[in-house]
Amino acid sequence: MGAKQENGDPEDILPPLEQELSHELDMKVKKYLRGEGADLEVLKDKKLKGQLYTRENLYGTSAKTAAKTEKWLLPSAGGYLEAEGIEKTWRIKQDTIGREVDISSAKNQYDIVLPDFGPYTLDFTSSGRYMAAAGRKGHLAVVDMKNMSLIKEIQACVLVRETVRDVVFLHNEMFFAAAQKKYPYIYNRDGVELHCLKEHGAVTRLQFLKNHFLLASINKYGQLRYQDVTMGEMIGNFRTGLGRTDVMQANPFNGVVALGHSGGTVSMWKPTSAVPLVKMLCHPGPITAMAFHPDGHLMATSGKERKIKIWDVRKFEVLQTIRGHAKTLDFSQKGLLAAGTGSFVQIFGDFSGSRNYSRYMGHSIVKGYQIRKVAFRPYEDVLGIGHSMGWSSILIPGSGEPNFDTWLANPFETTKQRREKEIHSLLDKLPPETIMLDPSKIGTVKSAKKKEKPTKKEMEADLETAVEAAKGTAIKKKTKGRNKPSKIAVKKKEIVERAKKPFLDQQMVEEEKVAKKKRKIGEEIALPTALQRFSRKKATA
Amino acid sequence: MQSHKMIEKKRKSRDGKKHDRPQKFTRKSKFSKKRGKIEDDKRRTGPRLPQSLRIELDRINPNDQSGSEEDEGINDDVYEYEEGVPEEESKKNRRFDSVENYEYELPKDFKDENVDSDDDDDFDGGENKIAHHKGKKGDLDQLDDDVEDEDDERHLRMLQGITGMPSQAFQDRKKTKVVSEGYPESEYNPTRDVLDGDGRIAIEDLLESIQGKPGYRELRKITRQVEKKGKVLQAPLPKEDRDRLERSAAYEQSKKDITRWEPLVKRNREAPTIMFDKDTDSGFSTIGAIASEFEPRTEFEKKMSSLVNDDNVMAAHKEDGSRLLELNKISLEDYISSRNHIAKMRSLLFRHEVKMKRVKKIKSKTYHRLLKKDRLKGSVGISMDAEEAKELAMKQEFKRAEERMTLRHKNQSKWAQRIVQRGIDTQDEGTRAAMAEQLHQHALLTRKMNSMKDSSSSDDSSDEEDSENSDGSDEDKAPKLLAKAREKTRRVLEEDDGVPDSGVLSLPFMKRALKKRKEAADEEGRLAIQEFESSLKELEDTDEAKITKTGTVSGRRVFGASKTQVIEPKNKIRSSSYSSDSEAELEAQEDIDIGLGRTDDMQNNINVNSVSLYVDADIPQDSVLKNSELAKDLGPKMTYEVSILQSNTWKKMSSSRNEVDTNGKRSQKVVEPATHNQDIEFEGVGEDSDADSEGQMLDGILSSEHKSSYKLPSQAELIREAFAGDDVQEEFNKDKEEIMNLENPEPEKPAQLPGWGQWTRVQKKKGLPSWVLEEHENAKRKREEALRKRKDAHLKHVIISEKLDKKAEKLLTGTLPYPFTSKEVFEQSIRMPIGPEFNPATAVRALNRPEVVKKQGLIIKPIRYEDVDSHERGGEERRKSGQKQKIKRSKGRVKAVVAKS
Repeated sequence: MGAKQENGDPEDILPPLEQELSHELDMKVKKYLRGEGADLEVLKDKKLKGQLYTRENLYGTSAKTAAKTEKWLLPSAGGYLEAEGIEKTWRIKQDTIGREVDISSAKNQYDIVLPDFGPYTLDFTSSGRYMAAAGRKGHLAVVDMKNMSLIKEIQACVLVRETVRDVVFLHNEMFFAAAQKKYPYIYNRDGVELHCLKEHGAVTRLQFLKNHFLLASINKYGQLRYQDVTMGEMIGNFRTGLGRTDVMQANPFNGVVALGHSGGTVSMWKPTSAVPLVKMLCHPGPITAMAFHPDGHLMATSGKERKIKIWDVRKFEVLQTIRGHAKTLDFSQKGLLAAGTGSFVQIFGDFSGSRNYSRYMGHSIVKGYQIRKVAFRPYEDVLGIGHSMGWSSILIPGSGEPNFDTWLANPFETTKQRREKEIHSLLDKLPPETIMLDPSKIGTVKSAKKKEKPTKKEMEADLETAVEAAKGTAIKKKTKGRNKPSKIAVKKKEIVERAKKPFLDQQMVEEEKVAKKKRKIGEEIALPTALQRFSRKKATA
Repeated sequence: MQSHKMIEKKRKSRDGKKHDRPQKFTRKSKFSKKRGKIEDDKRRTGPRLPQSLRIELDRINPNDQSGSEEDEGINDDVYEYEEGVPEEESKKNRRFDSVENYEYELPKDFKDENVDSDDDDDFDGGENKIAHHKGKKGDLDQLDDDVEDEDDERHLRMLQGITGMPSQAFQDRKKTKVVSEGYPESEYNPTRDVLDGDGRIAIEDLLESIQGKPGYRELRKITRQVEKKGKVLQAPLPKEDRDRLERSAAYEQSKKDITRWEPLVKRNREAPTIMFDKDTDSGFSTIGAIASEFEPRTEFEKKMSSLVNDDNVMAAHKEDGSRLLELNKISLEDYISSRNHIAKMRSLLFRHEVKMKRVKKIKSKTYHRLLKKDRLKGSVGISMDAEEAKELAMKQEFKRAEERMTLRHKNQSKWAQRIVQRGIDTQDEGTRAAMAEQLHQHALLTRKMNSMKDSSSSDDSSDEEDSENSDGSDEDKAPKLLAKAREKTRRVLEEDDGVPDSGVLSLPFMKRALKKRKEAADEEGRLAIQEFESSLKELEDTDEAKITKTGTVSGRRVFGASKTQVIEPKNKIRSSSYSSDSEAELEAQEDIDIGLGRTDDMQNNINVNSVSLYVDADIPQDSVLKNSELAKDLGPKMTYEVSILQSNTWKKMSSSRNEVDTNGKRSQKVVEPATHNQDIEFEGVGEDSDADSEGQMLDGILSSEHKSSYKLPSQAELIREAFAGDDVQEEFNKDKEEIMNLENPEPEKPAQLPGWGQWTRVQKKKGLPSWVLEEHENAKRKREEALRKRKDAHLKHVIISEKLDKKAEKLLTGTLPYPFTSKEVFEQSIRMPIGPEFNPATAVRALNRPEVVKKQGLIIKPIRYEDVDSHERGGEERRKSGQKQKIKRSKGRVKAVVAKS
């Protein structure tokens, strides 16, 4: 040990505080380096080595700057409840919290009672500034959460007057989509109906993929549809074949949409594949709710058999099983998990970072109120609860991200910024095929797995090898009369021909296909028979 | 004894010759002047005596010659030098004139520059010479005494004793020839000394002759100096070697020059970005600035500048115009000369004009052609732009090719014409053969042309026919045409185009090919005739038909024939009866209903009845079947096929149920929930155990009762929930298996065609051939491996689709990008995003900097040498050095400015 210390650089020997700081910084740098660099020593190409070396240096400096920026420019740290002695965090009531916090935070504790339009569902914009609420019996509202003002309320009894099953904001608060009785509709902020998406049918759940500008829906008949909201193009339309469901959640990390089915399975979909990417059996009973961690690595599911399971989506393994029932689940930005059932909300949290969720808080609303939806408000320590008698909002310390990135989501956005951001996000729109389980695979080398169809060149090469192999085959020595060179030659020829045959047949088939296609095209161009007699004949001299 | 005398004589003569030498060499030198080459040759070729002399010598002393020859034969058996007969001897050509004048006077300013290197030996000490002579003498003695070793040894010892030289020196001399000199000395018979190389001409000998002449002293001096120093000029190396050496030396030099640049180049290559931001001053900004930098270089420019910058002119220009006029004065001589010049030019022009007029008048085409040719030739020399020149060259090349084409095989070449003129018979065999070849080729080509002409003759006949056709009326045009065509083809078939007996077509394989082609053509022709005939008949028929009935034609367009009507529903029914799908059956039923409504055809009715009967019969049969099946395997595990069957049966039941329930009132509303039911319940029901299915049955009946109520699906859901957890796992496993089978299909079971080889007991016994089994095994193994490799192989509860997404394929690279050789390194190199969204603003620039940074409008100057520490690394130092350089440079510029001002 002693020797090691002696050998160490003078930088290593620092006062403990600074050491800690440097360690912290190192951790952050590591985070920003996004993995290890390649081992350059094994490279033989000196030029490449040099290039990569400089690259790595640049990455290093970039990560370091980022870490420093994070350290010094994002100072707010999230708080959380800390119990002393025998105290338990889940015993702490909202009143106690409300008494302790500042006025602006205390403002976020409220209940809004709207008894007429049944259970409410909620959705927040990505900045957390606006909330859309939809009453099942036909009530739509957009609320500015900052100054607690109602922006627009559509009294469903007047305008909609039909079931509203789900509501979801599009890329910003200007538009929102509502799944109504027959079709989903898109409204703007002023409550003007912009579109009726008839193709989707009677949708039960809606999800909007922000980066891809895709509106995903699952309808009563178990059909999953993706629609591009920029151009209105229908990107995908898949029959899940797993029955009706109203459990649907998009993975914010990769855009994969997960559906929970009555068979206890969760299927994950992307818009360019008609079969589910993954189908996993999560519960023995029907799945009631599902949520994804913002980093996309965790998934929480709850089944009718009164269990909540937390899954590692990368390995498809269950990490933890919590007993309890949940009709609705939601992860907060900081990774707290809210589970609502009946008139009781439970919050699970892991502050150790070991992905081990334990009871953190609980809250029960008035008996008899049925919780329909829980949703954490981004960048705030607030949980919104939609229930049968309106919605309420409670404080959950440590749930929201304390530092917001104005480039990403700005709660204090001005009109101009919003417009600017809209354009930017449209320019940065990702094509639907980028949705995949591991988006970090984009740009990497294709795995040299089975190919659907060999190319012409490969076929030729195969043919050649086959012919060579056929030529190489030894011919049996036969009795004197039958061992004539001419006969051997004929035999050899036959062997070669036989080796060639499958390839040639394949080629023939393909050619025929092409010819058929051509013919089809030609037919399309030709006038229909009924009109042919009207076509101008060639002028005869 | 005779030889002894001879030797003495020779010695004497040699002594005497010492005095004669100068004279002899004057003669010699003359010859060397006149035909030095021959002389040289002689010297190089060594001892060679003219034939006549040899004969003479032989006559004089036959023994000696023979002895010497024997000697040579004995000692020189390694290599015998044989010389060709000199040209003078063979007298084949008489280029060598006899020389009359042997006198030669050396010119006064003669200087023999060619100091022959062969004469070097002569500069040896005098002692040597004596020794040589003595040695020679000894040789002769030895020859005289015949070959006796002892004597030789003694003699050698003696010689050694006298001269004190090593014995080898004497031994070498043994092989020398003895030639008596019984003839006058001339250039043809040089002295022994010359022949042996002993009496070589020394510079002294040459110098003696010019003693007392001017320039002698200097020569003498030079020769002395050379002698003193003993410096001998080596023969220059061959040119190739010299060049090689030069090149290598130059290479060394240039290498040194270039290696100096290496660190500089390396630095630039290694730099991630090269900046050209140092010399942003792009030089001149205004026209005035550019003009001020102008320096006259050519003669004209200098003259102009001297005039423009003339102080007088400038001053005059500035002050007043009249001075300028004064300066403008031209002298009388200048004026006259310029006028004369103009007049000359004018007259030249006129003459040229006149000449051209005359030339134009000339009518001779040859003259003009030649003129044109000349002009073209002249124009080639004139420089043109590349395009034009190329065009011209192409043109000429084409012309040449054309000419070649026309002249070839026509005996029009000069060579051929000459031969023809002289008469082919007089030529030798080869020429005649070549001519014959040409003629043959010509004949071949022309024959081919003729044959082509023959074929074109048919056009004429067709023309005639056309004219004939045009006469006929429109109505009977077609038959006539057809008849004509038939006739023609027949004619073509009948006529036998003779196969040529000579030429290429007469070759056997060509014949074969022709025959084959002809046969094919014949076949075609015959077919054509048949066609013509048939069509002719048809035409006649239709004509008849036209007369009889005009209305009934084209069966295809007419619909509504009773026959077809009957057939169509039949088909439908048949298909529906075969299909087991309940929906299809429903459809069929509907169809039938419609059919019933529409048509009253008896046959149809019967059909429908039968079908309905069949359907009815199906239901109990199926249910029975199902029951039996269920009875067979009551366990929870069921094979897949059974389940399918079951589901089918269930479906059928439901469909039948629908039938029963609705009876005919069949509204859309009712059908929909039923299908909806199916959708939800299908999986569970299909694979359930018998009890379940019974329950389902019950449920189905129940649901049919409560169809109109809203709660129905929820109730189903409830039931579903109630039975949840029983078989979910199983269901999932089955699903997984199915998907696995879909993605990695199971190999087909090896089986033979039914009946194949069954009548031979042998094969039956043997079973399937081994290779089939082996292949099956292989396929199985492959599949298992593939299954094992799947990502979800170890995850029981997960199915991960291995299907390729073609659309997402384009987001991956097919091959590794160039400099990378390993996938890992590449993938690690792209792990970091470099966009502004993911990096701090300070780092983004460096991450995205292009390879070359250059300001617009900046002229990139050629690289300049600067000292670079080859071991330094990193951009900072470089930048520093660049800054230094910049400072230096700017300093230099300041200095220059100062100097200018």
